[in-house]
Amino acid sequence: MATDERPPFWRNVKVLGWVYQLTVLGVVVAIISYLISNFRTNSQKLGIPTGFEFLDQPAGFPIAGSGFRTSQPVKDALLVGARNTLYVALAGIVLATILGVLIGIARLSGNWLVSTGARVFVEILRNIPLLVIVTFAYLALVLSVLPRIEDAWEVGGVAIFSNRAAAVPWYRGSTLWLVVALVLAASIAWLMVLWRRRISDRTGATAYSGWWAIGSFVVVFIAVSAAAGLRVTTPDLDGRTLAGGIEMTPEFLALLLALTIYTASHIAEIVRGSIQAVTKGQQEAADALAFSAAQRMWYIILPQAMRIAIPPLGNQYLNLFKNSSLGAVISYFELTKVSTTAVGNGAPAVPVFTVLLLIYLAGSLILSAFVNLANRRLQLVER
Amino acid sequence: MRTTLWRVLAMLLAFVLVASACSSDDDGGSDEAPTDGTEAPTDGTEAPTDGTEAADGSDEVDLTQGDSTLDAVKQAGLVRCGTRDALRGFAFVDPDTGERSGFDNDFCSVIAAAVLGDATATEFVDVETTDRFTQLQSGEYDVLVRNTTFTASRDGLEGATFLQPNYYDGQAMMVAADSEFETIADMDGAVICSAGGTTSEGNVANEASRLGVTLDVLSFDDTALLQEAFLAGRCDGWTSDTSQLVGLRSDYPDGADSLRILDGVFSKEPLAPAVRDGDSTWASAIEWAIFATIQAEEWGITSANVDDFLTSEDPNIKTFLGVEVDGAVLDPGLDLPADMNYQVIKQVGNYGEIFDRHLTPLGLERGLNALYTDGGLQYAPPYK
Repeated sequence: MATDERPPFWRNVKVLGWVYQLTVLGVVVAIISYLISNFRTNSQKLGIPTGFEFLDQPAGFPIAGSGFRTSQPVKDALLVGARNTLYVALAGIVLATILGVLIGIARLSGNWLVSTGARVFVEILRNIPLLVIVTFAYLALVLSVLPRIEDAWEVGGVAIFSNRAAAVPWYRGSTLWLVVALVLAASIAWLMVLWRRRISDRTGATAYSGWWAIGSFVVVFIAVSAAAGLRVTTPDLDGRTLAGGIEMTPEFLALLLALTIYTASHIAEIVRGSIQAVTKGQQEAADALAFSAAQRMWYIILPQAMRIAIPPLGNQYLNLFKNSSLGAVISYFELTKVSTTAVGNGAPAVPVFTVLLLIYLAGSLILSAFVNLANRRLQLVER
Repeated sequence: MRTTLWRVLAMLLAFVLVASACSSDDDGGSDEAPTDGTEAPTDGTEAPTDGTEAADGSDEVDLTQGDSTLDAVKQAGLVRCGTRDALRGFAFVDPDTGERSGFDNDFCSVIAAAVLGDATATEFVDVETTDRFTQLQSGEYDVLVRNTTFTASRDGLEGATFLQPNYYDGQAMMVAADSEFETIADMDGAVICSAGGTTSEGNVANEASRLGVTLDVLSFDDTALLQEAFLAGRCDGWTSDTSQLVGLRSDYPDGADSLRILDGVFSKEPLAPAVRDGDSTWASAIEWAIFATIQAEEWGITSANVDDFLTSEDPNIKTFLGVEVDGAVLDPGLDLPADMNYQVIKQVGNYGEIFDRHLTPLGLERGLNALYTDGGLQYAPPYK
């Protein structure tokens, strides 16, 4: 009697596994295709188009602050919307990270006032729905606190704030050259760091690599951008129109503000948790080496804390990207607002929202791919 | 890691294949659907008397073709109207009493009076501007009476059938009373606020390019938010249909005198009720209910004197009011009660009465909405 005989296929775990998986898949596919066919039949009866031809139809609505014409197709409107979503999401991610890290560190401060202030900030913002914050930021802060454009605030002659438009200095010239200048300056700064560290290793003198990096970055960046004809313009107020600088609409400002402070309150908690997760021995070791509090934080604690913080930070970035859709309620023309407006102007609702869904999905997947990449680079290599 | 990825990809591929196979089946199925569709209405027209039997006979639940909304409305004893709640004159909920009143509300009552003989058998569903068509399509209400402009792409792409306009409007511009603007041509570089998902935003942009001025158009989904933005000075102009601007102005927190509507309209805005596509029985019922109000005004029949006309010498009027003429009462085959016109006039009133009740107090003139006999556009086909 052969004991190593293979079991019959209906008792083979591998086969059974596949059968289960395929059955579940089949059921899911059947349900979805039933729903799709139901939708299509019902739409057909009602005479509602189900295809994507609307993308090439004229949009029929303007988009504030973009120069978009009503005769341009819906797909161009969606592109403008995607660009606006991207602007607010990128600016929001950068600002929320900076603010969140600062507040997270402040929460652990030994100074009672600082830590309590940070705690109050976090507890208030974390416990209010974002929709309320967005609406409040628009109605109560931007529209009511900022002055009318006739009496706009001119801050030091470089920035202008009003509830019609705000502007800060910005560059003029080719964006390509700006990127080239930034990359070149960053690489040279990195080379400086490597060079200073080598000298420091050889002679034992303090490296001051940070100062060298910043200095060389500034010098190279200014030199390259001057050579490429990039210049800085400051905004000017002429009557009721702004010229120069970069103009931001009140809707953009309000949404950016709301997304930044809301996400920063979550990031602060992540940063606090990550710092506390760094073993106490690291802190004591830094103290034993007579590091100052700032040195201890910068050289010892933060690098290790950031490693822990990156995956949850990535989630916050994704949330911020998706939460930018709340701009629709305050008329910031990001993707969602463009889509609902298109539907109101004759584009069929279900296909429009299908496209919207796919764009958000693609954006989220790309963003999480970047976060995963960063995570993989910074992870401890365990052997 | 790698193998799981491949497995997931393979599953996705299988899913896509099966899904596409299914959807090509649908194409086959939907080819048949129109044939079913053309058969169903024939059944309906052949047997208008035993409408209930036809309804029972249809074996599938169908939004439009088997059952007319008219049958559903009669069965429920209630007309559900998609409307709004904060536009004085057209559709307004009194914040103190919770009572609804307005031009659009009255036309909903007109439909209820014509179909059910009871002007109070109405249910009002508040809808946002941007959702009105999707909610109509999904059957949240039976008829959209919500100052909606009749346009080709809404007719074609939103699955809506527009009916007899009950108000002919045109778009205008409202500015602060103390501003320097006299016409839209003066407004170069201005910011204009408008309701979102409406014809207004596109119209004002087109008008700006026609005049060669640059206007930035900012559209809001929520009228309350728009008003806040306008109050804060976010925009110089507020554009909408004239009738709406008049209503909004009368509710403005700083008082109606602080706003000024510029002369001249720059678009055609026929505001019409709409129903779902493919339901001509229900569509006819609504059209004839609206015509009743116009015809009554033409003959001078009002809610006060309608009973006197029951004994009129004019056979046309007697036919119209559903009174026996030479031993016969006209049944035009609309599947509506014979006294529908009488009920509409008695319970709600004629077009002029409805207009005077809600729109004249706001300062709106009849203009295009006068009867054709007075140089306006309101004209009813003969009821015979």
